[in-house]
Amino acid sequence: MSEQIDQALARKYDAGFVSEIESETFPVGLDEDVIRRLSAIKGEPEWMLEWRLKAYRTWLKQTEPEWAHVDYPKINYQDISYYSAPKSMKDKPKSLDEVDPELLRTYEKLGIPLHEQEMLAGVAVDAVFDSVSVVTTFREKLEEAGVIFCPISEALQKYPDLVKKYLGTVVPRGDNYFAALNSAVFTDGSFVYIPKGVRCPMELSTYFRINEQNTGQFERTLIVADEGSYVSYLEGCTAPQRDENQLHAAVVELVALEGAEIKYSTVQNWYPGDENGKGGIYNFVTKRGLCEKNAKISWTQVETGSAVTWKYPSCILKGDNSVGEFYSVALTRGKQQADTGTKMIHLGKNTKSTIISKGISAGYSNNAYRGLVRMGPGAEGARNFTECDSLLIGDKCGAHTFPYIESSNPSAIVEHEATTSKVSDDQLFLCQQRGLDPEKAVSMIVNGFCKEVFRELPMEFAVEAGKLLEISLEGSVG
Amino acid sequence: MSQWLAHVIERAAAVDDWLSPVRAEALAKLKEQTWPGRRTEAWRYTSLHAVEDLSLATESSVQAEAPAIAGLDALDLVFVDGRLTTPLADLDLPEGLTIRALTDKSEAAEHVFTKVKPSHHLFGLVNDVLATQGVVIDVAQDAVIERPIRVVNFASDNVESHTRVLVSLGKNAKATVIEHGSGTGHSLNTAFAEYDIANEARLEHYRFALHQGDAIHVGGSHFKLANKSRLNSTLIGYGSQLTRLDVDIIHAGEHAHAKFNNAYLLAPKEHFDLHSTIEHAMPNGTTEENARGIIGDKAKAVFNGRIHIHRDAQKTLAELNNRNLLLSRGAQINTKPELEIYADDVQCAHGATVAEIDEEALYYLLTRGINKQMALVMLNFGFVQELVFDMPNKALADWLQPILKQRFEDMMERS
Amino acid sequence: MLTIKDLHARVEEKTIIKGLNLEIKPGEVHAIMGPNGAGKSTLGYVLSGREGYEVEQGEVTFNGANLLEMEVEERAQAGLFLAFQYPVEIPGVSNMEFMKESVNAMRKARGEDELSSAEFLKKAKAACKQVNLPLDFLKRGVNEGFSGGEKKRNEIMQLIMLEPKLAILDESDSGLDVDALQVVANGVNSQRDGKRSFIVVTHYQRLLDFIEPDYVHILAQGKIVKSGGPELAKEVEASGYAWLGQAQEGEEA
Repeated sequence: MSEQIDQALARKYDAGFVSEIESETFPVGLDEDVIRRLSAIKGEPEWMLEWRLKAYRTWLKQTEPEWAHVDYPKINYQDISYYSAPKSMKDKPKSLDEVDPELLRTYEKLGIPLHEQEMLAGVAVDAVFDSVSVVTTFREKLEEAGVIFCPISEALQKYPDLVKKYLGTVVPRGDNYFAALNSAVFTDGSFVYIPKGVRCPMELSTYFRINEQNTGQFERTLIVADEGSYVSYLEGCTAPQRDENQLHAAVVELVALEGAEIKYSTVQNWYPGDENGKGGIYNFVTKRGLCEKNAKISWTQVETGSAVTWKYPSCILKGDNSVGEFYSVALTRGKQQADTGTKMIHLGKNTKSTIISKGISAGYSNNAYRGLVRMGPGAEGARNFTECDSLLIGDKCGAHTFPYIESSNPSAIVEHEATTSKVSDDQLFLCQQRGLDPEKAVSMIVNGFCKEVFRELPMEFAVEAGKLLEISLEGSVG
Repeated sequence: MSQWLAHVIERAAAVDDWLSPVRAEALAKLKEQTWPGRRTEAWRYTSLHAVEDLSLATESSVQAEAPAIAGLDALDLVFVDGRLTTPLADLDLPEGLTIRALTDKSEAAEHVFTKVKPSHHLFGLVNDVLATQGVVIDVAQDAVIERPIRVVNFASDNVESHTRVLVSLGKNAKATVIEHGSGTGHSLNTAFAEYDIANEARLEHYRFALHQGDAIHVGGSHFKLANKSRLNSTLIGYGSQLTRLDVDIIHAGEHAHAKFNNAYLLAPKEHFDLHSTIEHAMPNGTTEENARGIIGDKAKAVFNGRIHIHRDAQKTLAELNNRNLLLSRGAQINTKPELEIYADDVQCAHGATVAEIDEEALYYLLTRGINKQMALVMLNFGFVQELVFDMPNKALADWLQPILKQRFEDMMERS
Repeated sequence: MLTIKDLHARVEEKTIIKGLNLEIKPGEVHAIMGPNGAGKSTLGYVLSGREGYEVEQGEVTFNGANLLEMEVEERAQAGLFLAFQYPVEIPGVSNMEFMKESVNAMRKARGEDELSSAEFLKKAKAACKQVNLPLDFLKRGVNEGFSGGEKKRNEIMQLIMLEPKLAILDESDSGLDVDALQVVANGVNSQRDGKRSFIVVTHYQRLLDFIEPDYVHILAQGKIVKSGGPELAKEVEASGYAWLGQAQEGEEA
């Protein structure tokens, strides 16, 4: 069995093509001038430039975190280009018809047709290509409901007060090394505002694509759900197959005001590198949400890509009765490394959080769950339930669990459970005896293992996630 | 840099005995160490501020007796402030058992000293270079020593001391060792014990770390298990100004079995930190660890339970369970059960809970007319008491149960 | 002693007891029989006040007091005892301290002095002996590692120790062989003193050969559908519950 598993872990990365698009790309390197130029291109207000420069100065004083269970060569931050945009975007297209057809083809190939008539009904998409947003669909329909959904660069011009009010309130400028870097150089990303009491009429979605060589992608997403509103937001990511590692250091901030609910789903499929660990994306992401009274934030993620993942979507449960959820499937294979999990910070009374994490390790990969559940002194009657399960496929990989539990309230209840298991020979034999080939059998077993998480995904994504997992597992069993 | 550590390094240079070559290696490592701070993972929740510039006497002439335990007929080896006060020559030892002072050169000591304890423990290195007094317990092959061996370690006010216990269990040997430490005054004691357990040998082990008040107690018990050996260990800890213990259980042979129960009861304002590491380096081993804590007002408990399954350790069964209860708003628990797994055909699980009560058990007690407050007390103390009941030595269990019960009731009252 | 009038009760969203009436006088033994899912165990939980078992309507008076307004432990202290079908294990709490706490709570409620340790031990030893439990069991955790039969006998031991006014025996016969059944029944019979009342809940007639009831009630679909003397139990044994005319097999709540 394990011999069979060892055999060829070669798998196709379907999104690995490169698009021939003429781009305007900054030379590599980072200093204050680069930030000034970047801010100028975006036509940003003065306070934004100041904010960036402050973040940059903080970043210079910080050191790259080394506590995660990942190992990668030192990144030379002067070897990266901090801005790249398709030339055709210089005069921003006003409609899809003006968008470079090659760009549209790229997204079509990725299964994200941007032509509205071809789109999955009910999903509005913001497509971010390298450093800029290419197009945002369904904007008018959303505007009718009062929903703002646009590139953050545009929001900075159109709604500077809203952005200024919330930017950096959940993930402060100098929060950590990668967040500080992002704050200094972020180029684009999505901005969402849902007005009071509004239930967003459709799923919102951003699709991130890194295309250009030697560029980093530093997007910033800010979602504000005003009192009593609801939004479901989806995020997908891919990148071409390249031999060099590319850095993706994003920041996502969610603000759920009183009684609001935000559902944030991610299917992350950045290029993971080849079977020898060459190339692939370094995915160093800071995602955090703040819940006011009676608010709810739910993170669901399916992580199959990236060479190295460092990511902990978190909830600060500040308001009484607020709810945080984290559902995660992380699959690593080849030489991938993932260190991912969540933080649930309970501050308010009767706050509740649920963490379900499923880690699947295959090949020579290492997959770690790292989480923090903190019950503050004021978290009267708060509850957490955590379940972390790991599945190992083959005997060359690793599965790790590092849960931190901190409690200082006697009435708060925390429960954490973790198990590890393998796809057993008995299970495989049974499936085979019933006529299934081993690959199908493994993917069935893995799908079953992840069921609790998949059912949290919006329908369109659940199908995609299941398929992604199947493709990712291809070749992991002989 | 800590003043205290600088002094340790200075004093280490003056130590000159037959172990000096080994101590020199430890000293070299110690010199490379940086003083742990908040960012040092192993000391994340425990501040060493109280030790940083500590300056205490290094000798004392205090006399103390081993505390009597009814029904326990143990061979007592008594340390007072790091001095071995029991005349070893007077001991009436059963056949197969040899007990020597660490100052006497012996094969057993050479074989065990620094060979079991991992060298990353900062205070373990301090103990390596400064613990000149210690005992070496050597149990011959096939020897079954029924009489428990108790190492009593008493720390008195205003003294710094370092003690070492080395135990070697021969093939198929059997013994019971109790490490019994106490002290309430402002003292610093490091107490490290290393156990080398040969094929098929069985060790029953207890560590009672009953330091309280201003005492600072830092120590560890470290076990290396060979093929088919068995370890049954129970650790009971109080908190003090600072108590920090490291336990390492290393499955260096196949088919070894380890059971490790530990309980900590922290009175108001105490601090207790236990790091346990289970290393499965070889296949077919089993480990069961139960950790239970009750934390009183303004006290802080830290538990870090790591299970590490190495690539070759297939067919391992390892489980760790940690339960905690906070008695008041000022109490704090920081727990981290960790799994690090590199072999696929293993069954590993851990669980950690804070403040969880079994509703069905509560209902059962209520239907018997017991009021809710009392029922909660019974259940809460019950989960620590369960580990006391589980101790193989009944005399020890009978001695400990009322002491812990009293402590718990006092804690309830003061919280 | 106990009067139940038009009791309706539910578990979560499901109503299990639907209009139950029952009158029990001092010294009487009532058997409640019925198919699985009839609500037999639910009745015991509702009367003892288990959380999650909600009374929708009806009245229950116990020796003149409104039982439904009392807390679980107050009902117990008033003399209501429930012998569980599946007694829970409580490792770490010894039978000894558990029973001592319980006996003294009952005594206190009755206005009696607490027992001294010696008196308690004497009583406990006698009770153990009566139900054939070894003495060292007092030192062990409550029901910890007990066999099914030992758990049932432990319940009867507690009944003997606590001297309730009314004891509800919830399927105290299930899973027992004939010898064990005899021990349980003897224990129960020793407590019949003409004043103490019993509700014996059982699926089978077998137990009633050993504990002879004064009345037998058939519980189906949440209410008593038929009442009679001991002969009714024999009828049930002969014909089963099929005559109730409905699919009764289901989960026992």
